[in-house]
Amino acid sequence: MSDELRLPALEVHQSKGRKLYSFAVDGKLLQDFVTVSRVRRGDGNELSGYQRPEALAHIQEIRAYLEAPSPLIPNSIILAFDSRVRFEPAKGKTSLPYVRTGTLVIPLEKNIADPDKPGFVVDGQQRLAAIRDANIHRLPVCVTAFITNDVRQQTEQFILVNSTKPLPKGLIYELLPGTDAHLPSPLHRRKLPALLMERLNLDEDSPLSGRIRTTTNPTGTIKDNSVLKMIENSLSDGVLFHFLRPERAHGADVASMGEVLHHFWAAVARVFHAAWGLPPKKSRLLHGAGIISLGHVMDAISRVRNVPLIPTEAQYVEKLMPLQELTHWTGGSWNFGNGERRKWNNLQNTPGDIELLSKYLCTPYQKQASRSL
Amino acid sequence: MKFFLPDSQDLVDPSFDFENEQRAKDRRRQRHDLYAHEVFSQPAFDGFLVSKGMVDGFGALGSRYTLSQRLRLSQIGAPEFFRVNRAPHPLQIMGDCGAFTYVKEQKPPYSVDDVMDFYATCRFDYGVSLDHVILDFLPEADAPGAGPRAVPAAIRRRQELTLEYASEFLHKHTRGRHAFKPLGVAQGWSPQSYATSVKRLQQMGYDYIALGGMVPLKTQDILRCLQAIQAQRAHGTRLHLLGVTRTEHIEEFYRLGVASFDSTSPLRQAFKDAHDNYYHNGLTYTAIRIPQVEGNTSLQQRIASGQISQNQARKLETACLQAMRLFDSGRRSISKVIEVLLEYEDLYAPDAKRNHAKDYERTLRDAPWRRCACDICKHLKHHVIIFRGAERNRRRGFHNIWSFYRHMRDSGTDTHEFTVGQQVAGLKERACRTN
Ligand SMILES: [Zn+2]
Repeated sequence: MSDELRLPALEVHQSKGRKLYSFAVDGKLLQDFVTVSRVRRGDGNELSGYQRPEALAHIQEIRAYLEAPSPLIPNSIILAFDSRVRFEPAKGKTSLPYVRTGTLVIPLEKNIADPDKPGFVVDGQQRLAAIRDANIHRLPVCVTAFITNDVRQQTEQFILVNSTKPLPKGLIYELLPGTDAHLPSPLHRRKLPALLMERLNLDEDSPLSGRIRTTTNPTGTIKDNSVLKMIENSLSDGVLFHFLRPERAHGADVASMGEVLHHFWAAVARVFHAAWGLPPKKSRLLHGAGIISLGHVMDAISRVRNVPLIPTEAQYVEKLMPLQELTHWTGGSWNFGNGERRKWNNLQNTPGDIELLSKYLCTPYQKQASRSL
Repeated sequence: MKFFLPDSQDLVDPSFDFENEQRAKDRRRQRHDLYAHEVFSQPAFDGFLVSKGMVDGFGALGSRYTLSQRLRLSQIGAPEFFRVNRAPHPLQIMGDCGAFTYVKEQKPPYSVDDVMDFYATCRFDYGVSLDHVILDFLPEADAPGAGPRAVPAAIRRRQELTLEYASEFLHKHTRGRHAFKPLGVAQGWSPQSYATSVKRLQQMGYDYIALGGMVPLKTQDILRCLQAIQAQRAHGTRLHLLGVTRTEHIEEFYRLGVASFDSTSPLRQAFKDAHDNYYHNGLTYTAIRIPQVEGNTSLQQRIASGQISQNQARKLETACLQAMRLFDSGRRSISKVIEVLLEYEDLYAPDAKRNHAKDYERTLRDAPWRRCACDICKHLKHHVIIFRGAERNRRRGFHNIWSFYRHMRDSGTDTHEFTVGQQVAGLKERACRTN
């Protein structure tokens, strides 16, 4: 038994012989007439289809977003129909020569096999899978479609929509603090660090004010990634962990975290004032290895028990003083013990060097912690 | 006897939702996760064995610890890092150098001081002296007239080195007035050579001796070594078997002076063994394999190449999970469950030499998790028997540790009474909930 779906649509004449159709349809209905053309090799080794498999983790993320209150999917799903789908223009004249309203008529067939469906997904298969799986009643989506019986045209469009360059990471981090949405897990994890970094960079009274290089602050000299890493380490294993508050906005006592970071880095600026004013080329202090290792020092100092939960700047200064004679940020050479010597600038932003420097800088606090037992 | 669990950062995430297979977004590894002793309201082991090689990582074997975790461990010490105060009975922590991580090196990459320093900063209760593993077993060298050439110099050198380290370790331990209890390591290539090592360690002053390099030995060979050692063992000298669990010989080990041992096998078997994945009352069962479509490399490759349909794989995966759910609530027969399990198995392992029909039949017929009294099985139900993803597999491993420990206690090697704690019951329920 066959039936048909009639949808109000716009027909857009885009270029010679190329027409696009724009319409809205409940995403849950789409599976009745569209399918995904999976890439594979046939018996004669010829390639057919063009889509990769669904990315289940990605679908789970979208699905969780769709099940949250009032989701929004602004970008269109792109479909390719074969010529069984037709457009019936509405009666009357339109004022624009390139667009007319009408009805898109899609044949529906019960129990039709996937390859026989009239539509193929060119872009949006993960979103469609998420809508299909989501525990929601319906979700109308915008669709842009073209009609062709030529699979090459579909493949062409598939390549074009999927080969755009992703956003630079740094820009994403800078945009993150301003979002409220349910974000995919990897981005969600970066949101709090990004927010704290933003504070450090924008607050006027911050010791790092304006010094972190981001898309909108290209003159900053400290790498955003180093600051993020320093903050993430502390959130996992250091002093900032103690200010996580799952019930609050951002899941944290952001004000207290900001205070800790401000106090510590202000203390660093005072204790190492000569090296602090110099660009990373002339000082290892604000270089990746320095920032991340000092973050570990912040955590080590904050662990020493006779210090209250949010140490003051003065307390950090006092605890940092012993490092003055051990550090060689701008000249001379580091003596890491066991015959391991390094010229001041021969410390790189690598895991090995960060570990070497961190352990070295944390040594005084280790002994202090043992003694305080 | 005491059972130490070697640490390799095995934890479970209490926020894991078994129905939707998702975690809390704000979960932080290790900090919010639970160790086995935080999951059970009854004791499941007596302590941790923490290796320097495991914590630091050596060569190609990277560390399971992040740098931040390593620094936190060294600053707060192991008891606080492992949260041992949450265990139902006091846990002790033993440190060793993890000699298997550098077994291929000419010499250990650490000095006695490095190892001593590691034990002291981590505040361990016991510290095993620095050693170098001997992998070869040459019992023929004990035969009369075998001569010194029966054993290559490089092997002798490892034993000598280990004894030299033990001597230096004990001196430095005394001089440094360290709080941890020192263990000397005996390495050998035959029953007699082990006995010689033990004798010399006793002469140095050790009364707690770890036997190294026995992991690859057959149980009979271990027993032969223990018997040879028995002739040299002074009254009051206790032995520790490094890395060895042979459950069926526990009592014999005990009689031959073994006071403690460590092993990961109850944990690892849960997800490494081909058949013996679930322990129950001294028996083992095969876990029900329902691999994730996205997570099974060969399946993913065949889907990506278009050889099999992703839809079909997902349908079967879901059907298997559903069948297990229905089975556990008594609404699906064993044969129906096995049918769908095998259909999926045909898809993800078409080249398997034999299918799991027989093993599954036995597992489902006995349904041992229904009779297990551990906190995991009580709350997790059939999920514990499903071989799928780290959260299920590791919980099954935890159950095995519990089950193994109980079996050991029942075998009459118990030396002391333990009280059962209830103070952390809320936590345990969280770790095991299924909804
Ligand atoms: Zn159990």
